[in-house]
Amino acid sequence: MLTTQRLVLALALSAVFASVSAFAETPQEILDGFATQAKTEDPAFQTFDAARGELFFKNTHGNDWSCASCHTENPANAGKHAKTDKPIDPMATSANAERFTDPKKVEKWFKRNCGDVLDRTCTSLEKGDVLTYLMAVK
Amino acid sequence: MLQRVLVWDVPTRVFHWTLALSFAGAYLTAESERYRDIHVALGYLMLGMIGFRLVWGFAGTAYARFGSFLYKPSAVVGYVRSLFSPQPEHHVGHNPAGGVAIFLLLALGLLLGTSGVLLYWELGDEDLFEELHEISANLMLAVVVVHVAGVLVSSVLHKENLVRAMFTGYKQAANAVSIPRAYAWLGVVMALLSVAFLIIYLGIL
Repeated sequence: MLTTQRLVLALALSAVFASVSAFAETPQEILDGFATQAKTEDPAFQTFDAARGELFFKNTHGNDWSCASCHTENPANAGKHAKTDKPIDPMATSANAERFTDPKKVEKWFKRNCGDVLDRTCTSLEKGDVLTYLMAVK
Repeated sequence: MLQRVLVWDVPTRVFHWTLALSFAGAYLTAESERYRDIHVALGYLMLGMIGFRLVWGFAGTAYARFGSFLYKPSAVVGYVRSLFSPQPEHHVGHNPAGGVAIFLLLALGLLLGTSGVLLYWELGDEDLFEELHEISANLMLAVVVVHVAGVLVSSVLHKENLVRAMFTGYKQAANAVSIPRAYAWLGVVMALLSVAFLIIYLGIL
């Protein structure tokens, strides 16, 4: 009994510390991280491309949803969840200073949303292109 | 002389299986935004069931009351040890280890449901509640695994089908009395309310 309680307590405490110690970064630092990963995934990688990111963002990739289905065609606007209708804060960094400042959150949502839109994880090239686009939208 | 004894009232059984199904369903719909509505609906249902159980643990029939399966840690250890002895301890209601599983499941379910609601309503620290939500879900799954394993082991050792008892309410026992009422109407109301809630929330029909 006692050990289970301690385990729960320890896990709860570590959760608190984990959330406190999540490093804040700038979108550019997160983008640089994608560039480093993209190079390891494909040695021929050159640069990210905002236009390619925009196409990716608005494409349904053969399924029913695109990123824009929830985040709208203009990422500077607030979006709306396709299932729950709940509002979603803008994705464009010019419209929302909190976007792409928490690497853990960035990874979590790319993983979930790439799964929903593409039925797979996204490559670092795709993530970098989309982020370049979202940083370029005014 | 073994007799057929009514142990679990109907509300306790409806609670048990609704909790099990809603937790399983919510776990399976956790990773996709496509099932977000279902996930949230099952979370509300789970919280509602736990809320009922907390009241029923004080107001319910004898074997459903918390007092009947709240054992000292030494009794829990003693029970688990006895399982490895020639004469395993037998309890008509929840055995001491099963009781621990129930308190843990209720506590974790409460933490899981509450953190989920706070996340969905965007109240409080999102990062903290996200961690709590994930950790409590995985701990709860772990307790469920131990609980199911315990049920199977106890069923074999005591030669009684505990899973069937959670459906029928009846067990074979000596020197034990049936609970006087099954409260079938209350169980039926709970089941109907659960189905109605899911239909309305998910906009089915």
